[in-house]
Amino acid sequence: MPEYKSKAYSHIFRIALVLIAAGLIGVAVRAMVLPESFGDYGHYRGSAIEDEINRPIRNGTNSSCLVCHPYIREMHLQGVHNTVSCEFCHGPVADHVQDGKVIARLPKKEGNDIKTLCLRCHNQIIRARPKESIKMISMPQHLEEKHVRIDHNCNQCHNVHAPLMWVKEARAIVGAEEDNK
Amino acid sequence: MDSIEKEISRGRRTFIKKVLGGTVAGSLLLVIPAGAMDLANIPEQITGMRGKTGPFITEKKFAFIVDITRCIGCGSCCVADKNEYQVPDGMYRTWVERYVIDDEDNVYVDCPNGGLDGYQEPRQDIPHPIRDTFFVPKLCNMCEHPSCVQVCPVGATYQTEDNFVLIDAKRCVACGYCIQACPYGIRYINPETRTADKCSWCYHRVRKGLLPACVDVCPVQARKFGDLNDKDSEVYKILHQPHVVSVLKPGMGNKPSLHYVGLRREVV
Repeated sequence: MPEYKSKAYSHIFRIALVLIAAGLIGVAVRAMVLPESFGDYGHYRGSAIEDEINRPIRNGTNSSCLVCHPYIREMHLQGVHNTVSCEFCHGPVADHVQDGKVIARLPKKEGNDIKTLCLRCHNQIIRARPKESIKMISMPQHLEEKHVRIDHNCNQCHNVHAPLMWVKEARAIVGAEEDNK
Repeated sequence: MDSIEKEISRGRRTFIKKVLGGTVAGSLLLVIPAGAMDLANIPEQITGMRGKTGPFITEKKFAFIVDITRCIGCGSCCVADKNEYQVPDGMYRTWVERYVIDDEDNVYVDCPNGGLDGYQEPRQDIPHPIRDTFFVPKLCNMCEHPSCVQVCPVGATYQTEDNFVLIDAKRCVACGYCIQACPYGIRYINPETRTADKCSWCYHRVRKGLLPACVDVCPVQARKFGDLNDKDSEVYKILHQPHVVSVLKPGMGNKPSLHYVGLRREVV
């Protein structure tokens, strides 16, 4: 019986060589394309977590504002608006202070903007609000009830930081009883 | 005479030197880039978070609870969020929806400008008497099995071991798969960075011991954020007492970490 087993292996070597070369090129390209910390904790760039942590904080809290505004602090914390954020009305503290220095003034609501701002929370006509949580009023009935001119702005009777402060003071001076809440 | 003149010019020289030095120093102070906000003035709101290193939060398991029965739809949260991330107009990382249900059980949902301007006007276009109205704030659900992470082809959206789903803006190619995959419609393509973007539960604030911006500003505590490992925390107490349906689309199998108190059938 003749032996049919070939002794020529060169075609196998060639295929193996091509496969190894392709593998090496693949590994090299992967190393070049993938960022350094990729795969440290999972299928993502590990240092992305650090990047996210280092995102600048732009909203301080009320305490970051009140530390420099002691007069407002006194009013704001004693009034019923003590849970309202300073930055909601005035803008983020990062636009005002950087590195302990004042870089710009924050806007202050004036005129009709104040009324719009107040009614964001206190407008009874919206109805979708839980009854117990905050006081609701409807305009202009509220002005009529209180016997003031219909074009009065909210902040003519209510200090925006402590809405009942002037009302209480006025009552104390006049000696009036507290009317219906 | 010479000595006096010398004295005067010496004085002038030092004067000019000092003025120049002061000017240079002053302008340098202005030029040096503004660093992170001084955290010293801000008390820690989540205790035990400052001074911690390492890639993950190990001791705490955070949960977010939105109390629909408290929300007044003022939009403070939306304003704070826009300020914190300088979100481009027309894009929202968080928003507040208004639900109106009439006598015929029709449900009307609207969300003008994401609730950013608040709700100033009642809906006029409803023919029947209104039976019920309420507000529903929406934000990232931080799923335990996030479908957005599963579909991301480049590893730009990932879930950390402390269960935050975050986005690596440097990797994102804005293919938009995650936007289609999210069952809650939380994600959007940020037109400025041209990458996918979404609410991160203010991961950068939490790691520095501050509450998420929206939680901090909510005047009626409708948004709550806390540690489920702490049995005295408000979130633990709420989630471990009897309560009705509390997550959105539970059938999707994403297991959200965002819970709702008073969630309604119409919303789920």
